[in-house]
Amino acid sequence: MLILIQLMWIAVDPRGMWLHAAAAGMTVLGIVAFVVIAPLWRYRVHRWEISLASGPPAVYTRTGWITQERRIVPISRVQTVDTYRGPLDRLFGLANVTVTTASSAGAVRIEALDSDVADRVVAQLTDIAAIGAQDAT
Amino acid sequence: MSLHTGANGTTHWMRLNPRMLLVHPVHEVLRQLPLVIGSLVFGSATGNPWWVVLALVLTVTIGVLRWFTTGYRIAPDEIQLRSGLLQRKVLSLPRNRIRSVSTDARLLHRLLGLTVLRVGTGQEAAGNNEFALDAVAAEQVPRLRAILLADSLNAPEQAGKPGRVLARWHPAWLRYSPLSLTGLAMVLAMVGVAYQVGAASALRDSRLAQSGLDLAQRYGAAATAASAAIVVMAASVALSVLRSLVSYGNLLLRRDAELLHLEHGLLRVRENTFDMRRLRGGTLREALLVRAFGGARLDAVMTGVNGAGESSLLLPPCPVATAQTVLTDLIGNPDAASGPLRGHGPAATRRRWTRALLIPAILAPVGMVVGVPLWAWALWAGMTVGCALLGFDRSRSLGHRVSGGWLVARSGSLERRRDCISGAGIIGWTVRQSWPQRRAGLATLIAATAAGVKRYQVIDVPAELAWSIAAEASPWVAHNRWAQD
Repeated sequence: MLILIQLMWIAVDPRGMWLHAAAAGMTVLGIVAFVVIAPLWRYRVHRWEISLASGPPAVYTRTGWITQERRIVPISRVQTVDTYRGPLDRLFGLANVTVTTASSAGAVRIEALDSDVADRVVAQLTDIAAIGAQDAT
Repeated sequence: MSLHTGANGTTHWMRLNPRMLLVHPVHEVLRQLPLVIGSLVFGSATGNPWWVVLALVLTVTIGVLRWFTTGYRIAPDEIQLRSGLLQRKVLSLPRNRIRSVSTDARLLHRLLGLTVLRVGTGQEAAGNNEFALDAVAAEQVPRLRAILLADSLNAPEQAGKPGRVLARWHPAWLRYSPLSLTGLAMVLAMVGVAYQVGAASALRDSRLAQSGLDLAQRYGAAATAASAAIVVMAASVALSVLRSLVSYGNLLLRRDAELLHLEHGLLRVRENTFDMRRLRGGTLREALLVRAFGGARLDAVMTGVNGAGESSLLLPPCPVATAQTVLTDLIGNPDAASGPLRGHGPAATRRRWTRALLIPAILAPVGMVVGVPLWAWALWAGMTVGCALLGFDRSRSLGHRVSGGWLVARSGSLERRRDCISGAGIIGWTVRQSWPQRRAGLATLIAATAAGVKRYQVIDVPAELAWSIAAEASPWVAHNRWAQD
């Protein structure tokens, strides 16, 4: 998209090549940052676990790259468990699991799991969540 | 439940109060005002006054039909409201989902002894999906309220035994109302509307404006501007005091065991009943100017009540001691309501200062390079001082506390807030670190609840303390190995 805009800009206004060069450089930097660095960095940061061994069962995630977030939600407060598979996810055999609670600030999203892992996670979560039959607020 | 139960166990559809036959047409005419005005213009243009009569008759008929097409029914396990003239709609609500019943009577309703009754569930219903009986007779309200709330509360309301009064409006509270900006906003809105209507050109030709111009020429522009500012200020003070008096005069906050009643308004009477078991905490909000005069506003943190707007308000700006007493009474923990807080340390203070002084620091070299006149530098100096004071106040107000299962967090300067959240109501924790925060060894702890504004933040706590604060407030975190670091 940015490349297209710049090509059009050069076509419309061919003066001041150094400006074009600077813009192109910025674009390349942006592409490197978001296409190469961000996914690798995210992959290093992202973790998830459904912990059953110690204490009350809980879902845990760590996400982000520049701004990192760690979120923990006890399974007794889980209200719904969804999976979502977009076209790209399906191409690569992936699935996203979203675990929502009664709070809009408490949803846990586990991104880009292998789809059979995702299915297992959903089954596991719904099994555990069904035990506690409280209001979950 | 025995109410209106028919012979075969089903319940009748009830009509709204017949006096609404008077209210509906008036509301309908007001709502279709453009149509009526249009017909007036059209009628005078064609010289045929019957157009106006036709439009009026049509709107009044629609208003009257509205009464005939609206009905409600209180069945053993659900309540239903059906409405609509061309498009029929039935709204059903399970009775065990009813969380609150509030009433609201505007002026016209009050004159006729009517009250709008709204039923609240956990969800935030807006506009058309709201269950509102518009309107029933005011004397029916206590009975309907008791019937509607009987299921969810399991405790019949003891009529004749009013509960404890927590707070009562006092005229001294009026001194906080000019400190908010509502009055000024109202003045500006009125000026805007006047311009829209075209009063400006009328004003320019009027004698008032002419004499004003004469005065301006005689005493100089500065004096005129100053006196105009004084007039606007005085008008805004008067307006906000008046608004506060009209909407909160005779406010009464009462607690009957598990119910919290809030009643306020001189002309438009509003009454809210909250279920105390839905209470997850409270928020003391102190706007800068209100705080300078020792005032605070109290908001309830409840599931099913929107935390941001007017619906969660328990006390308008009032002396901070009153607000703290009421909050203590509600949450039963004096330390959480008014106890001292633990500061967030030097790193958090540094971060507040850097953030406050960032804009002046960027503007200074820009100004030097571009070369701005002297008065701009004076402005810059003033802004820097203001930002520094803001940073100082923000760093001073940062604090948190966990006591007896309550999480308390305080932050902000222009709009300082102290959130008290019950640990039992917290349904998830997030620790967020941006890049500068990671470098400074700080983290923002976010408690997710189903109540109020849903997310309550403890800003810039030392990173190593974040999880231990969470573990202190909700013990299940402590057992989790992820939350150790």
